[in-house]
Amino acid sequence: MAELKEDFSTTTWVMIPVAIAINIAIGQLIFALKIPLYLDSIGTVLVGILAGPWAGALTGLLSNLIWGLTGLNVTYAPFAAVAAVIGLLAGLFSEAGWIRAWWKAILSGVITGLVAAAISAPISAYVFGGVTGGGTDVIVAIFRSFGFGVLPASFAQGVSSDPLDKAITFLVVYLIVQALPLRFLARFPRSENVREEPEPA
Amino acid sequence: MAEAFSLYTGQESLIHKLHPLTKLTLAAFMLVGSLALPGPWPTYILFIAVLVPLALLARVFPRLLSLAWRVVLPFAISVFLIQGFLWPGGTPLVAIGPLSLKREGLLFAVTSVGRILMVVTSFLWFALTTRPDLLMTSLVQRGLPSNLAYIIVATIQIIPRFQQRASTILDAQRARGLETGGNLLQRARGVLPLVVPLILSSLVDVEERALAVEARAFSHPGKKTSFIEIAESGWEPLLRWVVIIAIAALIGLSIWLRTL
Amino acid sequence: MYPGARLPALRDISLDIPEGQFYAVVGPNQAGKSTLAYAMAGYIPHFYRGRLEGKVTVAGLDTRATPLHELVLTAGLIFQNPFNQISGTKFTVREEIAFGLENLGMPRGEMRTRVDETMELVGINHLADRSPLALSGGEMQRVAIASILAMKPKVLILDEPTSQLDPIGSREVFSAVRSLISSEKMTVVMIEHKLEWVAVFADYVIAMVDGQILANGSPSSVLTLDTLQMAGAGQTRYTRAARRARDLGSWPDQHELPVTLEEAEEAFRRLKTGA
Repeated sequence: MAELKEDFSTTTWVMIPVAIAINIAIGQLIFALKIPLYLDSIGTVLVGILAGPWAGALTGLLSNLIWGLTGLNVTYAPFAAVAAVIGLLAGLFSEAGWIRAWWKAILSGVITGLVAAAISAPISAYVFGGVTGGGTDVIVAIFRSFGFGVLPASFAQGVSSDPLDKAITFLVVYLIVQALPLRFLARFPRSENVREEPEPA
Repeated sequence: MAEAFSLYTGQESLIHKLHPLTKLTLAAFMLVGSLALPGPWPTYILFIAVLVPLALLARVFPRLLSLAWRVVLPFAISVFLIQGFLWPGGTPLVAIGPLSLKREGLLFAVTSVGRILMVVTSFLWFALTTRPDLLMTSLVQRGLPSNLAYIIVATIQIIPRFQQRASTILDAQRARGLETGGNLLQRARGVLPLVVPLILSSLVDVEERALAVEARAFSHPGKKTSFIEIAESGWEPLLRWVVIIAIAALIGLSIWLRTL
Repeated sequence: MYPGARLPALRDISLDIPEGQFYAVVGPNQAGKSTLAYAMAGYIPHFYRGRLEGKVTVAGLDTRATPLHELVLTAGLIFQNPFNQISGTKFTVREEIAFGLENLGMPRGEMRTRVDETMELVGINHLADRSPLALSGGEMQRVAIASILAMKPKVLILDEPTSQLDPIGSREVFSAVRSLISSEKMTVVMIEHKLEWVAVFADYVIAMVDGQILANGSPSSVLTLDTLQMAGAGQTRYTRAARRARDLGSWPDQHELPVTLEEAEEAFRRLKTGA
């Protein structure tokens, strides 16, 4: 697949570590500021949009593994598949041209968040007993007290936080890619999904 | 090693001297055992019989425990309270007001805590005893694409820089009293204009870093060699095979147990 | 011509750089100096998706026809920011220098020798076991130079290597490059703003303005051009002093303007003795 090889240019390989570091640094910052969001996938979404779905998926996967390997937050590691899907979806939405308008970008985020919640729920239920140890467990409690199973309750918890979190993530990435100078944007393999490239004079 | 972000502490211990892949197989054994086997007890058995001795041998037990404790406790509390008390139906054991602790719920909580504990501690044990670059080198020697290894080690080394920049933002917010004070909207609004420049400037770096790494023959085709040589004792490959067979046995056992 | 740009970054360039010489490239910002460097090293057209007209050959290799990973072995490029040139994958300087060699698939024994040789050459033996990220700017830049040199390129191109360094760091880098030229007979092209250094070390100076070559010649002939100074490229402090003297009428018109300390000393001595 020649396209895949093009996606994984040297620039992509160099960007991924930077994107993962962005994920981690901002995720930690948001946590320290006690803002009730994760915002730990900005880098992943960025790579998905600029370098295609597979590069995005790789970024997400490795991101979560590194959260675990460095001991920063080992509980992220089992969710590596979810992060990979986020990166994949970001790339696919970008391919479909949904990152050209701000409201489409937000919608992509909401959909991605729902999918993320759906995939996280079984992992959370099996490994973590359906809870996160955080404030949103209140939602789990509510649903459980109404007689819902562990899995649905966990999904409900996910739906209460992921779509919003991913919508904001996609919006931030949208703002960033629109703010990049064109000469710089052209460096990335999938930049034509973001903006029209004017022909050189 | 202080510059990279890694839990690795260069200690002298039997475990530290082991080849990275040996440690990887041991960690995989603990992980697979904890997640594949049904029931609440396997995880605790693995913890006591396998993890604790390995951690003691590696002289990382105190550190491991203190790191694991902080992560596992919130989960344990949540699971116990929510799944224990709010389990629909089931057989009540203890009643506290309108809520009662159900047997099924307690069992579920115990199982979950065991799993969380083992997942966290196996990862931590591995991270505390293994040098990431040596791990990557050994994986590349066994066929891992070298670009993946590049990503992982490069990330580990640049994380501290990003954390510093993020903490500068945090300090700025603190100075404005926005760290925990101020309402949510204020905190969020304050942080966004600082986060975007952080990301933009790191993307600009990407261009020059790509040029520089290209100058170091990054996209040269063909097999890459390794400057460092990783030592291992002669019996380690045998140990690895034994552990791999044990992992396969665990998987077989868990399938059999679940079909009973 | 870069994508999205309205004007080409380089125009009408015709250059011939012979082997074993130290060429400096000077000029105001945005004059196209970096673009020239990238074109020489083959990054244009392979890395930058723009439009390239004409032909560039380095040590006999056509940059358009040869793949980039081969070109980088012939022309090594050093950049401004020392930190961005550290691969970020190695924990000691020694390993860092070997990174390029690993990518080339060199056998371990040969790598060891090459790394030791290169560290000796650049004078950084004392840094061998330090972490590359824990160094000063000047030290990091020298490690970057060593890392490229280890691959034994025929040409070394440096794009403002000292612009982010303090004076000590700058001096370290200039000495390293100077000793390389004398001991290894390397062909060096250096883009630099620190004209005092250029005047002392360069064999030839290329001046660029607005994407075109203004002049190509010896340091004293190029660095004293009035057109260069008016274009905003600056001048050495000795030239400035002499120009001032000329404006004040104390400098005979036919005397050349000095560019180095020695030339200045000589020139002022002649003035004093009235020769």
